[in-house]
Amino acid sequence: MNEIAKQALESALTKALGPDSVFWNKDLNGNSFGWVRLADNDGLARAAAALAGVSARLMVITAYRVDKYANYPGREIAYHFDLDGTVVTVTASLPTDEDTIPSITRWFQNADWHEREFMELYDIKVTGHPNPVRLFLDANVEQGALDRLVPLSTMMNGACTKTLWEKVYAGTEMPDWAKGAQ
Amino acid sequence: MSGTYTLPIGPLHVALEEPMYFDIKVKGETVESLGLSAGHVHRGMESLAMQRNYLQNVVLTERVCSLCSNSHPSTYCMAVENLAGIMVPERAQYLRVIADEVKRIASHLFNVGIMAHLVGFDSLFMHAMEVREIMQDVKEGVYGNRMNLGACTIGGVRYDIDAEMNAFIRGKLEELKPHLEEIYGIYTTDPLILKRTTGVGVLPEADARRYGVVGPVARASGIAYDVRKKTPYCTYKELNFDVQWDTKGDVHSRALVRLREAVDSVSLIEQCLEQMPEGPIELERFVEIPEGEAVARSEAPRGELFYYLRSDGSDTPHRLKWRVPTYMNWEALQTMMTGCQVADIPLIVNSIDPCISCTER
Repeated sequence: MNEIAKQALESALTKALGPDSVFWNKDLNGNSFGWVRLADNDGLARAAAALAGVSARLMVITAYRVDKYANYPGREIAYHFDLDGTVVTVTASLPTDEDTIPSITRWFQNADWHEREFMELYDIKVTGHPNPVRLFLDANVEQGALDRLVPLSTMMNGACTKTLWEKVYAGTEMPDWAKGAQ
Repeated sequence: MSGTYTLPIGPLHVALEEPMYFDIKVKGETVESLGLSAGHVHRGMESLAMQRNYLQNVVLTERVCSLCSNSHPSTYCMAVENLAGIMVPERAQYLRVIADEVKRIASHLFNVGIMAHLVGFDSLFMHAMEVREIMQDVKEGVYGNRMNLGACTIGGVRYDIDAEMNAFIRGKLEELKPHLEEIYGIYTTDPLILKRTTGVGVLPEADARRYGVVGPVARASGIAYDVRKKTPYCTYKELNFDVQWDTKGDVHSRALVRLREAVDSVSLIEQCLEQMPEGPIELERFVEIPEGEAVARSEAPRGELFYYLRSDGSDTPHRLKWRVPTYMNWEALQTMMTGCQVADIPLIVNSIDPCISCTER
């Protein structure tokens, strides 16, 4: 484990976000992992600037629904950074679907693709992104592809009848997409 | 008339094994800029992973990528094990290293073989692929498959090596060694290889850091970062090897880094076969995956592989995210290609060892 890198990360994040902002744990091989949960999304810019200041590397960004099945709103975004072998994950919360998150491409150019990807998969609005176009999904696919159930028959444009869905949803309210079946 | 025109390559093109669209601005024979358009093999695998249970995802993740196929389930398993605090038996950890290093040799030989083909040295291409068959035989003999090994499971591995198999692998490695030495010699001295690859597709260290590139692409540009050394996992701490790196940052140095790593992998497998203790290879019973989050990383053949797992305590992941090495390396092509000749485009693309299917998942 790289103790110098861990201390550099801890010091930078403490300066940016205040004391006790990082929680540390280790895997069974003794490698350290830092975890930061932002109190507000303004803290993301401060954290990104501080991490860029110590030459941390952005590895990946993970967005997810707070409730996997979208029964209630809210998303979180986990930014994973590395400094010489030590990983820190900084998590921002978006409690409502209207919340936005600032781009960190100003400090980490390679955030470009990651931010574009979570825009299309979770319909998260990113402010200040230099190139907010689709990354993987075609423009005719509605934003937020991972947010909703897309029945296989719909996805494959296969023939299905409303009769089938009437039986499936007998006694309950039929979802809008099933009502459109021919 | 400016003399600049657009050269569209892909998404379906005879020079591409997988679909990717390159929008290349050229002036005469010189590339001025590059635009990338991805998404032609997006499979929605992360969505699938959230609908499958933890054991089913071992099978699913092995199908993210063919050349790095063992790295995916092994890193996924490490994320699950980190979250659940599972201690993998020592013998199983050695067996995971062997599987990863067998795949690394085969993957690197494939890449440098294709490079020979792209420079027009087809006899070397065929020779490299023939040498690679030695490792394909190992895969087939030990695991029963030539690509997907099915070696990993949560808490251990699904295969073992007895004395007969140990001797078989050692024999194959002995067969491989002189060929690797010979191929390395050709790549370092052959005038055609040197002429076509030296000083081509250069990625300076500052740009490599800016793009956050990983694996042999980063190491050839002066970033001596190898996850096996930086954050050791499995039994790499117990094994003797060097991080292979270079400072030239061109197509040639990326190939040489890969070839030296292949040589190291042979040694790593031999060390594992020598040191591996007797003992169990998997858990006696499956443990419950608790609520929480965990990260795991490994050094796949193409570079750093990252898995993030979030669990809500149910039998399927709340979120499973992975980032493959190639994902980080694509955008660096803009620096590598600017100013290069049109004829060098395939060489430079191949030098990042691109995997489009695993980039898009």
